[in-house]
Amino acid sequence: MFSLFQSKSPYSIEIEAVEDIFQEGKTVDGFFIEGQFHQGGMAILKNAKDIETNQQVLLKIPQVGKDQPIENLICFETELTILAALKSPYVPRFIRGGNMATTPYIAMEKVIGESLEDILQRQPLPFDQIILIAANLARAIQSIHQQEVIHLDLKPDNILVDAQFQIYIIDFGLAHHNRFPDLLAEEMRKGIGSAPYISPEQIAGLRQDLRSDIFSFGVILYEMVTGTLPFDHPQTLNGLRKRYWEQPKPPRAIRQDTPPWLQEIILRCLEPFAKDRYQTATHIRQLLREPSAVKLTDRAKKIKPLSFWQSMQRWLNATGYEPSEIPRSAIIYEQAPLMVAAVNTSNDDPEMFERMQRAAENIMRVFPEGRISCISMMQSSPTFEGPTEIESASGLYRNHLVRLQKWAAPLHISQERISFHIFETLDPGARIIEFAKDNDAAVILIGATAETPNRVVPWRSVMTKVVEEGPCSVYVVRK
Amino acid sequence: MINPMNHHRIALFADIHSNLEAFAACLEHAQSQGATRFIFLGDLVGYNANPIEVLDHIMNLIASGVGIAIRGNHDTACVEPYFPKMNPIADAAITWTKEQLSTKHKHFLSELPPIFFEDDNCYVHASAYQPENWHYVTDGLSAWRSAEASGKIYTFSGHVHEQALYYQSSVGKLIRFAPHAGDAIPTGRHRRWVSIVGSLGQPRDGNPKANYALFDPVAQTMHFHRVDYDHLLAADKIKHAGLPNELALRLIQGI
Repeated sequence: MFSLFQSKSPYSIEIEAVEDIFQEGKTVDGFFIEGQFHQGGMAILKNAKDIETNQQVLLKIPQVGKDQPIENLICFETELTILAALKSPYVPRFIRGGNMATTPYIAMEKVIGESLEDILQRQPLPFDQIILIAANLARAIQSIHQQEVIHLDLKPDNILVDAQFQIYIIDFGLAHHNRFPDLLAEEMRKGIGSAPYISPEQIAGLRQDLRSDIFSFGVILYEMVTGTLPFDHPQTLNGLRKRYWEQPKPPRAIRQDTPPWLQEIILRCLEPFAKDRYQTATHIRQLLREPSAVKLTDRAKKIKPLSFWQSMQRWLNATGYEPSEIPRSAIIYEQAPLMVAAVNTSNDDPEMFERMQRAAENIMRVFPEGRISCISMMQSSPTFEGPTEIESASGLYRNHLVRLQKWAAPLHISQERISFHIFETLDPGARIIEFAKDNDAAVILIGATAETPNRVVPWRSVMTKVVEEGPCSVYVVRK
Repeated sequence: MINPMNHHRIALFADIHSNLEAFAACLEHAQSQGATRFIFLGDLVGYNANPIEVLDHIMNLIASGVGIAIRGNHDTACVEPYFPKMNPIADAAITWTKEQLSTKHKHFLSELPPIFFEDDNCYVHASAYQPENWHYVTDGLSAWRSAEASGKIYTFSGHVHEQALYYQSSVGKLIRFAPHAGDAIPTGRHRRWVSIVGSLGQPRDGNPKANYALFDPVAQTMHFHRVDYDHLLAADKIKHAGLPNELALRLIQGI
C-alpha cells in the first residue's frame, strides 16, 4: 500500500486494507476498537479502550487508499515521530504507535475539551476570557517550542480548551522537529497549512522558524477579539501573498472597546517579517498577564485601516519578500532570555545594590533582546496596621516597589523589557523558584549575604535554596 | 513495546585511520549500547599511529564472525603499487603505514571487498556509485546516486568525515539532515536512507570527539554518536612515530 519506491521495487508488501484492520469490535495491539469519534480530512479518530489499563484512548488512523493523497501518510508519519518525542502537559499524551506499513495508528490520551473553533461561535467573547485563553495558549506554544517543535498549523480547530481554560494543542501532522528529518521539507506544494492562519514565511516554503507559530497565534487572537479573520480566507497563492505587506484592519476599528495594548500585541504578532514580531511565546504570555508592560507604538493607536499610501509603502517594502533570518529554535530562548533579579528590598545595603546593578547590566548587555523581571519579597503583611500609610499593607507594598524601581533605574531598560513584582510570602526561596519556573527564566540573579556566623540570616537560606533548587542558572553576586 | 536491548544492533565504524584510542572508546561505547555486529566502512589505516593494533583487532572480530570490513581509498593506497597521489601529508602517512604493515596485513587489506550487501543494507566506503572511484556523498544528488546504485533501503558509508543522514522524500529526491548525537532517529523501511556515519579516527568538524553510528534494524532507528577518547595520547603517538606533525594537530583540534 505504501511504498515510495518505483514499481520494480521488491520491497512493497501485500497488506490488509486499513479500514478492515480498525473495524469496530476488533482488537488491535491491545486496543479494543469502539466507535468513530471524529473524521478529519487526513485521518479518522476512533474511540478505543486500552485493554491492559482499561483506559479510554483515541486512535488516530490515517486515511489511505486509492483516492487519498500521499500527504496523508507523510503527515501521519510526521505526527507519529513528533508526538512520540513530545512531553508536554499541553499536548495529549502519546501511548504507542503501530507499524507505519502494516497497522498505522497513533494511540493517545483522550483529553476532554471544547475546540476553540466552537468557543469562537459564541461571539463576542469577553476580554477576560480571551486574555486567559491566549495566555494559556502562549504557555502551551512555549512548551512545545522549548522541545524544538514548531507546530506550523495552529488554528482554532487544533486547540482544545477545557473547563478551567487549560489548553491542549493537537494535530502535529504538519509540525517540524529540529531533531528529526523533516519529511515535509521540499515536499509537495509550497505553503502547506491553513490559509487564514499560515505565516508569510511558510507561504515562501520555510518550515524552521518558530516565529511562524507566533504569527498564527496573532491570527487566532485577532479572531477571538473581532470575530473575523485578519487576512480573510484566500483561495489563491496571490491572495495568500497579500499578508507579505497587508496590515489587517485594526481590531479597534471592529470592536471599539479593544484595549490599545491588546491591539498592539495582536498587530505585532501579525508583522510580515518574523524579526518584527515578539520573538517568544513566553514574552507574549508575560505581556498578556501584565498589560502595563506592553510598549505601545503606532500599532496600538490605529482605529482606521491603513491609507492607500501607507499600504503602498508596505507593499514596496515587501517586494521580493525575503523571510527574516531564522535563529536556531533552541537558541532563540538563549538570545532573548528572561533574567529574574531577586532584589532584597528589605535590606538596605548600598554596596550590594550597586553590585547587583552592575551584574544585571553586564548580563543584559550581552543579550539585547533579553528581559528582566525584578522581584522582591514581603515576608508577610503586618497584622496590625499603623496609623500612617507607610505602616499599612499597601504602603509597605508600595515602599518595596519604589525601592525595586529605584534599583533598576540605572539599568535604563525599556519599559517593555522590564517588569516589577512584589510577593508576599513566608518562603521567599520557594516563591523565587516558582516564579522562575513559571516564566521559563534563563538565569536568576541573587545577592549573597555576608558571612555572619552568629546570626540566623533568612535571606542567606533563601539564596542557598535558590542555588540548590532553582530551575535555571543562578548568578550569585558577592560583595 | 520493543525493548531496544533485546535485539541486535549494528555498529558502523568509518575512517578509523589507525586511531587505536578512538577505536577502543567507540567499540566499548557501542557494546554498552547493545551492538553485536561491527561493520568497518573502510579507511582502516592512514593518518594515525597504530595501524597494526587496529588491524589485528578488526581481523579478530571478523574471524569470530561478528565483523565485516570494506576497503577504503587509504587502504587501497597501502597495497596497490600505482595509486594516484593524494595530498602530501596523506601520502606521507601512506608511505609510513606501508612500512609498518606485514605481508599478512597487506594481504588482509587487499582482499577486502569495496562494497558489501547484506539483507536490506549496503556497506560501502564512499558512494555506492562506482565504489572504487571514491565519489564523495556531500549533497542530496550525490546521496541519491549512491542510493540508486546500491538498490538497498539502507546505504551506510564514510569517506566524508562529518555525520549526515540523507532521507528520501515522496518525490524520490534525497534530503540532507544533520543528526544530533544520541537521538534515536526513526528510519522506516518505506523510505531510502543514506547514512554517513562520520569519521571515527579523524573528526573534522572542530569537535575532537570520535564519530560512529548504530543501526537498529528491528526498531528501524539510527543513532549517531560522538564519543570522548584520549585524543591527546593519540596525538602524542603521531609525533613519536615520526608522522607529520599536522596530523597530531588535527586530532587535538578536531579539524
